[in-house]
Amino acid sequence: MAEIQLRDITKRWGSFFGVKDLNLTIADREFLVLLGPSGCGKTTTMRMIAGLEDATDGDIMIGGQRVNDLDPKDRDIAMVFQSYALYPNMNVYENIRFPLKVRKIPGAEHDERVKRAADMVELGEFMHRKPSELSGGQRQRVALARAIVREPNVFLMDEPLSNLDAKLRVSTRAQIKNLSHELKVTTIYVTHDQIEAMTLADRVVVMERGLVQQVGTPTEIYDHPANTFVASFIGSPAMNLMQGTGTGGVFEGANVRIAGLTGPDGPVTLGFRAEDAAVGGGAEITAPVYTLELLGDATMVTVKAGGALVSVKAPKDFRAEIGDEVAISIPAGICHLFDAQTGARLETA
Amino acid sequence: MKFKTFAAFVAPSVVMMLLFIAAPLVSVFLQSFYLTQPVIETVEVETCTPGFLEQTCATALRTRPVLDENGKVQTTTTFVGLQSYRNVLEPARAWDAISGFDYGALMGIDFWRALRFTLTFTFITLPLVILAGLAIALAVNNTAKAFRGQVIFISLLPFIITPVIGALSIRWLFVGDGILTRMIEGWTGEDIAVFAQGWSIELLMLFYRVWHVAPFAFVVFYAGLQGVNRDAVEAAIIDGASRFERLRYVVIPHLMPLIVFIALIHLMDAYRVFEEIIGFRSEAHVISLQYLTYDLLTPDDAGNRSVSRASASAMLTMVGIVILLIPLLRRTWRDHRGAH
Repeated sequence: MAEIQLRDITKRWGSFFGVKDLNLTIADREFLVLLGPSGCGKTTTMRMIAGLEDATDGDIMIGGQRVNDLDPKDRDIAMVFQSYALYPNMNVYENIRFPLKVRKIPGAEHDERVKRAADMVELGEFMHRKPSELSGGQRQRVALARAIVREPNVFLMDEPLSNLDAKLRVSTRAQIKNLSHELKVTTIYVTHDQIEAMTLADRVVVMERGLVQQVGTPTEIYDHPANTFVASFIGSPAMNLMQGTGTGGVFEGANVRIAGLTGPDGPVTLGFRAEDAAVGGGAEITAPVYTLELLGDATMVTVKAGGALVSVKAPKDFRAEIGDEVAISIPAGICHLFDAQTGARLETA
Repeated sequence: MKFKTFAAFVAPSVVMMLLFIAAPLVSVFLQSFYLTQPVIETVEVETCTPGFLEQTCATALRTRPVLDENGKVQTTTTFVGLQSYRNVLEPARAWDAISGFDYGALMGIDFWRALRFTLTFTFITLPLVILAGLAIALAVNNTAKAFRGQVIFISLLPFIITPVIGALSIRWLFVGDGILTRMIEGWTGEDIAVFAQGWSIELLMLFYRVWHVAPFAFVVFYAGLQGVNRDAVEAAIIDGASRFERLRYVVIPHLMPLIVFIALIHLMDAYRVFEEIIGFRSEAHVISLQYLTYDLLTPDDAGNRSVSRASASAMLTMVGIVILLIPLLRRTWRDHRGAH
């Protein structure tokens, strides 16, 4: 049982808050992703759970036990680092065996456990190689095997795919997902890549400036962002956000007019996703084409509206010249309204 | 880089090395096989003493150096093969002493006495310098940043002091009525004469060398510690490694090229130990190989220098250094090849 509870966790350096009043419960066997831009406090949170940083305030509970005062080695966790953090002087076998060796686990078990962990990440044939003789993906798999071999209660993964190229990232991501399914161990995964978060997580915690912006399943985060930060951080492209004024259910801004909304009157931010709108069929936005990008499976049309650049996915064979006037259809049902001042989501009736 | 450009950059250095290192080395090597001696002639000398009625004269055969037209002693140089090496090593005497298990007799031969001290000095100071340097570096690295500058400055002070002055200072602290000798005498209530025994002088010499060189090792190791992969250290912490295990499995392997570097530099330096002999005036008790060469080159009462034996002694010193360096150089070469 490795439920993790973070109660009012704060990390402060002088007057600067790395993490502020974080409350979170991570269920046993849950795969939780901490997502956010650099400096948002996600890695600091993970390091506090690992015991590599002391929390200034608050309690960290693992399996019902307060672990604030325990050394990292006594928290029964394993961690995978972005830089792999392998021991360069040891070969693959010795790297994987290291946690068993220093924890004085009987030597008779080592061989079998190391081989099992190595097989799980398909490293069996590289046992005698040094890390310098491995590719980036292979090194990260060694780091994964080193984490697996001890059979810990909690896995912590700090941007494990960030040093890999795009192709390797996809295959290693799939491997992590598969491992997580097989091992069924509580996992906390830190990333700034929202695709990794969406594909791996049971739940995602979006953070900014040390504060939790939203906690939810990938679908909830994507479909119902809690504020403009989450809306603009999740999705590729990010959600279109336009400034305007709501009056009697009608949103109006530069080049844009959307009727049928149920939000409050006054200044608001309206958001919609590029794939939910369509070129033609309606005329909520009428504006000249700012740019046109061919994506292969679609064509991304960008116009200026509501004081921002607004992108819409059009069919792959759609063509227009820059400057050509286009009409964009934005049904009221796909729109999200946010407070113009605070950015918080406005619940529409 | 084109070879021509490479050669242009390297040539001045190569020329200097050939001129000031290779040429003297070859010269010393050649001189060790030749013996230069003054040309001596035997003359009959009549010595007369005035007497009452007649003077008393006696004739005797005397040897004297032959002078040239400028009044300088004429010399002759002859090829003597390995004779100078035999003169230095005294193999027959040494073998007799060894086969008779007579340590005292072996130490009665200057070369073997010097070799014994040189090796003792080298092999005792080497690990101590590395350990002390590493310990200081780790301590400074763990010191609060606010005090780090001051601690580094204080740690470096021994390295700044000129070797001979440092050795003399230590000597003055312990010699005769030196401050520390008086203090020890005060504590123990016994008369202390640190410079009356060879072993106590040797201890002081060893202490002085470690004190003097450890800061150099510290600076190198401290620089190396800044490059230790922090993630690897943290991974070891989470894996369950103790502080010592982290040092052993993460930090030391990272510093190993620097440890080899310090070992190389220190072996070369310690094997040429000389300043301590002069500073501590230990000639009567202990001498080093470098001092032996210096002693052979010092003119005797007749103004003669044993250049040939000094050359042989210098070559033997160099051979000794090379033998000591071989394992380290092999390791460096292996690492270098392994990295490619």
